[in-house]
Amino acid sequence: MKTKTLFVCCVLLSVLRGDAQDSDTTGTHAGYVPVASGSLGYVYSVDGGIPTIEPQINPVLLIPFGSHVLFESRTEFTGFFERRKGSSGDYTGKVYKTVDYVQLDWLANTHVIPVAGRYLLPFGLYAERLDPLWIANLQDIPIDFSIGTRTSGAGVGPQLRGVAVETPIFNVQYSAYYSVHNNVTQLQSSRTAGGDASAYFKDLHVEIGSSYQRFLDKRQVNNAAVYLAWQPLHTPLDIKAEFDHSYTGKGYWIEGCSMLSSVPVATNFFRRMQLVGRDEQFFPLNGGGNGLPTVGVRRGEGGLNYYIGDDWRLISSYGRQFNSGHNFNLWDLGFTYRFVWPIGREKK
Amino acid sequence: MQIPRNKPGAALCTAILASFLWIASVIAPLIAQQPSQKQKEILTPEQRGERVFANNCARCHRPPMTIPPQATGTIIMHMRVRARLSRQEEQDLLRYLAP
Repeated sequence: MKTKTLFVCCVLLSVLRGDAQDSDTTGTHAGYVPVASGSLGYVYSVDGGIPTIEPQINPVLLIPFGSHVLFESRTEFTGFFERRKGSSGDYTGKVYKTVDYVQLDWLANTHVIPVAGRYLLPFGLYAERLDPLWIANLQDIPIDFSIGTRTSGAGVGPQLRGVAVETPIFNVQYSAYYSVHNNVTQLQSSRTAGGDASAYFKDLHVEIGSSYQRFLDKRQVNNAAVYLAWQPLHTPLDIKAEFDHSYTGKGYWIEGCSMLSSVPVATNFFRRMQLVGRDEQFFPLNGGGNGLPTVGVRRGEGGLNYYIGDDWRLISSYGRQFNSGHNFNLWDLGFTYRFVWPIGREKK
Repeated sequence: MQIPRNKPGAALCTAILASFLWIASVIAPLIAQQPSQKQKEILTPEQRGERVFANNCARCHRPPMTIPPQATGTIIMHMRVRARLSRQEEQDLLRYLAP
């Protein structure tokens, strides 16, 4: 046992020894001051004829300790207001507060970044990368989003992540975590273990990845995902796709978006416009449930976004959802705003 | 209620993990040994940073980004964790975004 522990410690030390020296920012104006970042947005939705208003603010707090340790957290304040009588009457509702993550990162070296605290579960493409309000091309989350993100979308415990292999042609990235069961208000999590690995081919702009999770609470089930992201060279196109599998269902989504920069007329106007489309389908297994539909669902969505600047964006989308025996439309209209505010000045 | 173990799911997961390990251990070193055009190129740190931005950041963020210089180091630390960037990529980005 002692030999094993010693061996594990030696391996960890040899991996972490790397470049734990100070960041080499000589010749740059990069500063390491605390930052208040995040986004706010306002989305007016009509789903199946029921209008709702969803104002949101998602502040992100970043506090660096030198250039190798970072404290970061993100909180979501989301209002959900709908008419008293469904499609008529005044709007009523409440504001929900969610702590997405509160974590401490040690940027030890390229290969290992230990993370501790409450973190977003690294499962598939959506949860960690595409979910933020100011990044999502369409505001409706995929139908199978809860596969691999149950129960709160976050885990509490340790996580390791980093770049396993780095070459001029491709990178292999990984995340591995263990989350404990936690009932503390705003920090709820389930007992899970899992990981994610992806290979990114730099010249091709192609990423292929997969995620695995073992849900270890009362119901022990496996969740898995495979995903692909591709940005073709010389074409302003972005394609992302994911297939998820769980005990209670499986599904896929494929999303494509393109900046209309190649429109030959009114170039200044169209280069800020983004066309988005997504197709997705879900198939329940073993009765579905656990945050997933209990019937088969198919949804198609198209959207048009307009970037006023780097930070302001107007969003709009229309979708049609096909359930067994109940089809309806989904409309979204609104805006998002991203902000980055340095707090204080850097000591020279 | 006791849910039976989902053996088909486990088999799928095992297959996915096995295929990744295979890619990482067999295919990747073979590709890495091939001399590429990229290895012959000599780029300035700013050009490398621009390439890192195009390869990684631009997949979710629209260039150009307006980040105050004094916050750039912090933001890139955050993105290095989130996007699993290497240390070299972090350094190149710093030179590109806050030269």
